[in-house]
Formats: sequence, structure tokens, C-alpha cells
Amino acid sequence: MIIPRIIIGTLIASGLSVGLAISGLAYATANPAPAAALKQTTQDAAPQLDSSTADHTKFEALQADFKSGPEVTKACLSCHTEAAKQIHKTKHWTWEYKNPDTGQVLGKKHVINNFCTAVASNEDHCSACHIGYGWADKKFDFTVQENVDCLVCHDTTGVYKKLPGLAGHPNYETMEWPPKSGRLRPPTDLKKVAQNVGKTSRKTCGACHFRGGGGDAVKHGDLDSSLENPKRYLDVHMDTEGLNFACAKCHVTDAHEVPGSRYGPTASDTSGAQMRGSKEARNPATCQACHGNTPHDSADAKLNDHTHKIACQTCHVPAYARGPRHTKMSWDWSTAGRLDEQGKRIRTRNSVGKVEYDSNKGHFTYDRYVIPEYKWVNGKVKYTLFGDKVDGSSLVKINEFLGGPDDPDSRIWPLRVFRGKQMYDKGLQTLAVLHTTGNDDTAFWKNYDWDKALATGMKAVGAEYSGSMGFVETEMSWPITHMVAPKEDALKCEQCHTKGGRLAGIEGVYVPARDRIVAMDTAGFSLALLALISVLIHGAIRMFVSSRKRG
Amino acid sequence: MLKIVAGFFSGIALVAIVGWNTAGGFMMTEHESPFGVEETAARIQANIQALSDRGWKLSGIRSPSVSVAAAGTNVPPVILVEACSTKYSAPLLAEDATRILSILMPCTITVYKKDDGKTYIGTMNSGLMGKMFGEKVSSIMDEVAKDQEAFLSFDPSKPAPPLIKTRPGGGKGSGGQELSGC
Repeated sequence: MIIPRIIIGTLIASGLSVGLAISGLAYATANPAPAAALKQTTQDAAPQLDSSTADHTKFEALQADFKSGPEVTKACLSCHTEAAKQIHKTKHWTWEYKNPDTGQVLGKKHVINNFCTAVASNEDHCSACHIGYGWADKKFDFTVQENVDCLVCHDTTGVYKKLPGLAGHPNYETMEWPPKSGRLRPPTDLKKVAQNVGKTSRKTCGACHFRGGGGDAVKHGDLDSSLENPKRYLDVHMDTEGLNFACAKCHVTDAHEVPGSRYGPTASDTSGAQMRGSKEARNPATCQACHGNTPHDSADAKLNDHTHKIACQTCHVPAYARGPRHTKMSWDWSTAGRLDEQGKRIRTRNSVGKVEYDSNKGHFTYDRYVIPEYKWVNGKVKYTLFGDKVDGSSLVKINEFLGGPDDPDSRIWPLRVFRGKQMYDKGLQTLAVLHTTGNDDTAFWKNYDWDKALATGMKAVGAEYSGSMGFVETEMSWPITHMVAPKEDALKCEQCHTKGGRLAGIEGVYVPARDRIVAMDTAGFSLALLALISVLIHGAIRMFVSSRKRG
Repeated sequence: MLKIVAGFFSGIALVAIVGWNTAGGFMMTEHESPFGVEETAARIQANIQALSDRGWKLSGIRSPSVSVAAAGTNVPPVILVEACSTKYSAPLLAEDATRILSILMPCTITVYKKDDGKTYIGTMNSGLMGKMFGEKVSSIMDEVAKDQEAFLSFDPSKPAPPLIKTRPGGGKGSGGQELSGC
């Protein structure tokens, strides 16, 4: 009897092996396999040569003891005669952008977002990030050349800082900053800053773009102060010990106009690599503008087959807020205004010390190493602007990137979706403008009176507050394009090609291993089952014949 | 006879394969956390401190992902919360036969993020591990396992406690932005 003997032998061996295996487990756990050596690419740091042909400390126009920013600008313009005229035409100055697809007038001046919501009525605060001096209210003269702030972009000293509440000016006198901190900030040494101007840098661009929305890492998710001196893992292009790109390396600027904007994003670029310096009318800040349309070498050539459906960023920016900073993920205005028993402002912090509740602003949540959401994007975007109908019954998309699987201009993009709850005017049925800051009696951060603050805010955009307000859930999407990981940290095939993977929510495209064709699967499994049945029948016949012969 | 021997070795191979493939699952447990990585770690720390009457103290906190980042590559955040109770460690360290188990000290709980964006908690299966080393160790590790369950019991109605950046050994950390690596 062969089979019973085999079974008996197996059972004996199993009993012994269980003991051996369990003993072995303890050893195996205590002796894990050594981790694979991490691949590290080292590159020589770029030589630090002063390539400028002008020493601004020697310029006669810059020897004055400047008392204000506009005085510095006047001196700059004595040589750079056309600079202010160029600036006046840029989005950085106008805070306006007319969308050619929808005709919507966008830009910070017009959009209501779900962070601090709106610029109108809060200009003296928001204009800390305007490249001008003196924008305190609607009366600001956008045609005056001396109102342009050259230093905020061209400072190399790191001491120049425009503070909220000063209408775009740096402090000219000693002032306490942050307010009530007890720390005194000395007057800005304008002469020193003016004599040390230079090219823009990650630090100068980041002064605003890393700190949008009221603080470091708040708004963009893929832009924060960890990019001032990033390591290779955080951004392969900006790595200070590697390529060390400044922002302008990709955002190649012409006549002070900086290309690349979420108001008119380039979702797909099939034009191939662009010669630097060429005057082609295209966005030079796309990945393809340097890397071309088939960037993967022959060993990874299959990846090039993905580029007509997937944006480069989808694989190469596997997560955002990948540095040490936590980015804000949501903002709930509906809880703002709560005070403690003494009627004082409340601020509570989360486990890492970030403010999670502030009477001025409501509740926040944060996260780090955030997995993006994915969506078809064709470069067209539609905003919900002031005056567009909002009745509070459904989620409002502050902006919506359009696109779909059948659109040849669409690619699957990674997005940061910022969620919030914000004010709307029930009577006018529109998103509301809140007057948050200022020294007047109606500012919300002064008196926590919604009605007064909304009346002032709405008046600033030419509307009369109905007297009835509510809160509505909103979403705002941001294409993720910075914090480009080294290629070995890009998404792996199985992160998308699996059920429940990164592209689980993407419709209209067949993703092998995520999707199945039922007929083909049924046919394949049927064939496999038939083969198994055949083998079993064949084996049974052989055993039967063999036992008959022996018997 | 040859067939019995063949069956015997086949059995060994079968058990070895099954054991090898399932060992990880038995030795460690994984739970999903409703909080972010740092808040989860902070809540575990608070729970550990709440069991000080059972000898538990925070031993340290580390982030291996910080070391990996410093080496030039990138992984999702991982935080190791370390704790020790002399009530349990003293009897094990007192005897030559069990002193080698100090390799498992301090008790480490790992908190990490996965590709689905969610936070997970990993712990050693202390109860099962203890059973491999005799009755004395088993009884101690059973107690550790019970305490470990309490470490992972969260009350969402309580506000997030601050993350305590203790240095290995129990000293207070500097409170800097990043945790120590490994």
C-alpha cells in the first residue's frame, strides 16, 4: 500500500518539522536579511562663481540712504529703464488672468479660494505677496512705476521681508514680529539689500510661493520651505548637491513674465524638447520641454508607451509634502470665532505643534507624504467665481480641471485636493467675501462678527450682503508638479497595475491587472480547469491499471 | 521503504515552505489607525505613559525614514515608538538563560504610512513569541501583550497629545523639526 505509507511518512515528518520550524522562526526574526544598500548618486556641487558683470555696491544710484521701497525702485529704474513697464504687464503685478477657453477673469484679485478666501477688502494684508508697494485698498495705482518692488524677487541677502499689514512694504521702523511675540524686527536695511541684488532664487520665489495661504507649506503641498535647500530625495532638480536648479531654470522668464500657471496649465506637451532661448510660443516649464516625448531609455522603453495618457508627474511625483513639513489638508471656517471663557482667542495645536484650531480661522488638518488624487486633465479649468450660483446644497468646486479619456489633450495628472467649509451668502446665493484683517471695527479677526465682516467684504466687490450667511463644503484642486523624486523613487508598475491601486478611480482606460475582460478570463480559467481535470483522470487511470497489474 | 523516506522529506519541505511563507504574519500584527502617523505615535506614547503603574516608560522615538532620506532616497514616514517596563524586563535580564531576549528590548511599536495613504501600526506578537521560550517567558510576554493592546486603544474624543521627542534612554529631546534616524 504505497499511498498510506506516504501519508504516514508525511505526518511523521510534519510533526518533527513543526518543532524545527518554530525554533527557526525565532532565529529568522532575530536575523533579518540585511537591507539592500541604498543607491546614492553623488554629484559634485556646482562651482560657486559670481557670474555677474555688475557690482551693485559700486553703483552711484545705490549709495543713498533709502527711506522707502519706492525710492529704491526709482534708483533701479535709472538703469533698468524698461523693467517696471514689463512688470506692469505680468500676472505677478496685475493678479489677473483672462482664461482664453472660458473667458473667465481669474487671478488672485478675482478668485475666491478655500484658504483665506479673497483679497478684496484685505489688500493691505494679502499684498505682502504682491510685487509692489502700497496696495492697501482699491485706490492703489497700478500704473506708477515706482510702486514696483524689485527687491522682493532680486534680494540676495535674505533680510528683505514684506510683512502682512504693511500693504506690500517691508518694515522701515523697528516693529514687533510676529505680533505679540516679544521679538523685535529691526528696520530693513534698504541700502544693503539694494546693493546686493542678483538673480532670483528658490528663496526669493519661495518667500511667497512656499508660504501662500498664510504660512509655510499651507497652500501648494508640493512647494514649501524645505525646497530652499533640498536634498536629492526631495527634488532631483533642486538638490543643492546636484543640479541645484533655481525656479527660473524651468520657468524661463521673458520680459519679467514667468511662464507656468495653474490658471492655464499645460496638461500635455507633444512638441518635444525645446531649445533654450528659442522664441517658440509654448510653456518652457513642462517636463517635455527638456526631456522630450520619449524620455525613457531602451531598457525602460515600455514606459514611453504611457506618455500619451499619463503626465510625467503622475509617476515622478509619487507623493507631495515629502519633506519634513506638514501641509494643510483642510480648513473649516464654520468653527471660527469661538472664544474662551474670558472672551479671548483660542489656539490649540496638534501632535507636531501645528495650529489645529484658531478662533480667527477655524479648524485645520494636516498631513505629510500625501498620496495625490488622480484625474484626467486637458489644461482647461473652470472656476466658481463671485456671483456664480451657490445654494449650499452641494459641494462647490472652487476650480475644476476638465478632461477625459477620449480627449487627446488629456493626461492623467496627480492633484492635491484641498477641502474646506467656507462662507456663502444665502440671500445672494454666491460664495461670500470676508473682511478678515485690518484695524477697523468690521474686521473678523478684530471682533469675530460674521455679519459686519461679510458686509464689508461683499461691499469691496460691489455687492450688498443679504444679511444671511451659511457654510458650504468646497474643494480646490492643485496640479502637483514639484518635489520630483529621483527615478528610482518613481511609482512602480504594480502601484497602478493592481486592484485598488493609485489609478483605482480613473475611468475610460484599460489598465492591465486593474481591469479584466470577463470573457477572456473565463476562457483562460476554463482551459486551466480542463487541463487539471485531464491530469487527475489520467493519474487515476494510471494508478488503477498499476494496482490491477500488481494485484 | 524508499517511498516512506521520500514522503518524510516531502513533508519536511512542505512544512518548511508553509512556515516560511506564513511566519511573518504570525510574528507581527498590523492595525489601521484612524489618525495620521505623528498623531498615532503621540497617542501611543500617551497610552504608554498612562501605564506607568505597570512600570512602563518611554525609551525613545526614531524615524528610519529620516535616515533613508538622508541617504538620498525617499520612503513614506515611519516612526518607531520605544517603551520599556522594568517590571517585565528585570526577571528576563536576571537569568543567563533569558538574558539574550534583551535583543527584543525596548518594546517597539512601529507607525507608518502605506501607499493607500492610510496610517498603520505594527507590533510584535508578544504572546506567541513568548510561547517559544518556555513557561516563564511565556507568562511575562502574555502580560506584555495585554499592555500592548492598551497602548493601541485610542479615544478620538480626546485632543491629540504632543509627540514626545524623547532620546533613546529616556531623556527629553531637543524638540527639533525632525526625529532621530536609526
